[in-house]
Amino acid sequence: MPDTYFYRYDDYDRTLVSERVDQFRDQVRRRLAGELTEEQFKPLRLTNGLYLQLHAYMLRVAIPYGTLSSRQLRKLADISRKYDRGYGHFTTRQNLQLNWIKLEDAPDALAALAEVDMHALQTSGNCIRNVTADHFAGAAADEIEDPRIWAEIVRQWSTLHPEFTFLPRKFKIAITGSPNDRAAVRVHDIGLRLWRNEQGEVGFEVIVGGGLGRTPMIGKTLREFLPKNELLAYLEATLRVYNRYGRRDNLYKARIKILVHEVGVEKMRADVEAEYAETRDGLLGLSDETIEAISQQFAPPDLPPRSNLAGAVEALRLEDRDFALWLKSNVAPHRVKGYAIVTASLKPAGAPPGDASAVQMEGVADIADAYSQGELRVSHEQNLIFPHVAIEDLPAVYAALGRLGFAEANVGKITDIIACPGLDYCALANARSIPVAQRISSHFAGLARQHDIGDLKIKISGCINACGHHHVGHIGILGVDKNGVELYQISLGGDVDFGKTALGTILGPAVTADKVVEAVDSLVTTYLDSRGDGERFVDTFRRIGAEPFKDRMYAAL
Amino acid sequence: MPLYREGAPSGLVVEDPWLRLADDAAVPADGMVLVSFARWREARAALLARRGPVGVVLANTDPVEALAADVSRLDLMVLHFPKFSDGRAYSQARLLRGRFGYQGELRASGGVLQDQIAFMLRCGFDSFESEQKGFGEALAKARTLFSVVYQPTEDGRSPASLLRLKRRNVLVS
Amino acid sequence: MAKNLSGDLQVASANRLSDGVVVWLDDAGDWTSRLDRAAIARDKRTGEILLLRAQAEAFAVIDPFLVAVTEDDDGTIEPLSLREKIRASGLTFDVIAADAVRYA
Repeated sequence: MPDTYFYRYDDYDRTLVSERVDQFRDQVRRRLAGELTEEQFKPLRLTNGLYLQLHAYMLRVAIPYGTLSSRQLRKLADISRKYDRGYGHFTTRQNLQLNWIKLEDAPDALAALAEVDMHALQTSGNCIRNVTADHFAGAAADEIEDPRIWAEIVRQWSTLHPEFTFLPRKFKIAITGSPNDRAAVRVHDIGLRLWRNEQGEVGFEVIVGGGLGRTPMIGKTLREFLPKNELLAYLEATLRVYNRYGRRDNLYKARIKILVHEVGVEKMRADVEAEYAETRDGLLGLSDETIEAISQQFAPPDLPPRSNLAGAVEALRLEDRDFALWLKSNVAPHRVKGYAIVTASLKPAGAPPGDASAVQMEGVADIADAYSQGELRVSHEQNLIFPHVAIEDLPAVYAALGRLGFAEANVGKITDIIACPGLDYCALANARSIPVAQRISSHFAGLARQHDIGDLKIKISGCINACGHHHVGHIGILGVDKNGVELYQISLGGDVDFGKTALGTILGPAVTADKVVEAVDSLVTTYLDSRGDGERFVDTFRRIGAEPFKDRMYAAL
Repeated sequence: MPLYREGAPSGLVVEDPWLRLADDAAVPADGMVLVSFARWREARAALLARRGPVGVVLANTDPVEALAADVSRLDLMVLHFPKFSDGRAYSQARLLRGRFGYQGELRASGGVLQDQIAFMLRCGFDSFESEQKGFGEALAKARTLFSVVYQPTEDGRSPASLLRLKRRNVLVS
Repeated sequence: MAKNLSGDLQVASANRLSDGVVVWLDDAGDWTSRLDRAAIARDKRTGEILLLRAQAEAFAVIDPFLVAVTEDDDGTIEPLSLREKIRASGLTFDVIAADAVRYA
């Protein structure tokens, strides 16, 4: 079994997680005994990742910065079998949700997670949530620095932070270390982007007040360049300003984006900088030694450079059209010559996006052991990633994934749909998401057509909370309830790419569930008829605007 | 409202020696009086001129900065949690203790439940008004719930990052 | 043919505390996981009483509430809203089985 190439828990981390499990076990006992009311218990279970959904409790397991080992994934499979129904759902926040957990089993499930240094801490509640990062971190060819080092530093600082556990609302932090932002840093409460300034120093651009949900907003730059070792002091200052002045009178206006919007980014900056002036020289400064010790744990595996040309790959590419397409869509450049980053698509045609059975999880873990240094990533696009695959192993990985049903050559394509659990599971949802995703996915199943259509991101949310990120889908689909009927509002032109981050434009009246596929089909046809050379769907939309799409779509329905 | 103090024998409710003064009540010449933040601002000189300790009750929207210069003159500050889920007073507590160096009693009132004690202790609270059954026993155990902490705060505990550094340096030397 | 679509017919529902399972209050004042055994309130006033009874029996369940239902000629009851239909009869698609490798 290969060692891991990311943060390894030491006795401090293990002690804290296990003491937290003990504390929660006692809280569950008191709730079952009637010593705690549901109102008192709810925030306690939520900060341990336990929701009550329509049919059962749901446990949201944190996968910090989307990185996990094959051993951890096997354990997740195990837990899903023992305490759930043998499958799990990978989410847009790089977490894993188990949908059928019993309250009385939850402490045991958490104890089982702790055995592999995992937890469900702060995956819900009005606290700093699990920190997300670029899913290609540590492997991407375009990376300046591994953002996970910083995500781990933030994970520790934010875990059981005594001052910030009862914030006005939830707080999400995302970090990217590449110019190609794969972590969507402009749509988080705080987005951190590592970049190199003119003096050659690497620091953070701190972006604040982005987010989707009811009031979608693009984040604004709070600080152009923050020296890295000042990160925690600056975050603490920002969170303190938010904790003190964020609105608490209205649930829907309590996120930091509303505070930034209401006071203006200049005032927000002045307040944070004033607070920061007082905190910066305190104990939160990060010593080079501390940073170095954590960085070492993320030291990349020793990958001996190999040839980018592999005869077997070339032969299969010529002979197997689907493999050729898979190379194009599911394989990305690695920083080391002769290696690649492979995405396993959790979006087989007609399947619920992001779901994996226990056997599939174990199969993926086996592939990671055999071909990717035992390491995996979860992407916010709800796929699993093998970060370090030798190019010559690609045919074997493709074949192994094929046996699991995860070799669909559709990453970034129209059937690589992001969808929240929707009304089938979720207590907040107004409409179903998964069956809509399934119908679209089945309709566009042909790979050749998908590749002809090219990059097109469909994102579906079952309510305004936007867990399916519909605002930033090239095609966004939002389920709404109108007098007991599910309707779907369609928007175009959303994007999370850095520098192009945009919120979609709503086309017009919502359509009924049975018309969604026709509507999407018409949008695709309009694009195919209008596209210029090399234009993606979203490029054509930007050039010609919403009208041609809208006219044709409503005429077709 | 039952009052608990850290360090008091396990589970024991302690007596509250403070006289909570309504804003329009006359200020007694001596004894321990507890006044609102508004009253303090309006009658600061008179309150300090009398014999006996003074305490201030703050709403969680009151600016603690305004008390920075007076922290050594006050013996009690009461920070209020309108609901247990409204966490503004945690920040007030840390500012009073950490930034302004307040040394007196720091009391939590309002929505104070046993599952918050560990957080409150870390932010510098040392007395608690709570109606919850079992609160006193929970308070006695609260410091032992977590033997590891990740953040430096006003309770002076060494965070894991610091302990790791020390351990590494011991190993090196 | 469904009758009484006015929303006057109601049952009391909740999720069971220990495992989250959807339950309804029956005539005996017990919580059952079978909708066909649920006590039915046939007008607004008995609905209010049903909710009070449910709240009084809420020790082992979470936040009881009333659900509007319809009743067929043969006495089969079904929730009116899609959300409650899904709570009563489960997911509207097939999930992948624990031992499945492909989604079928």
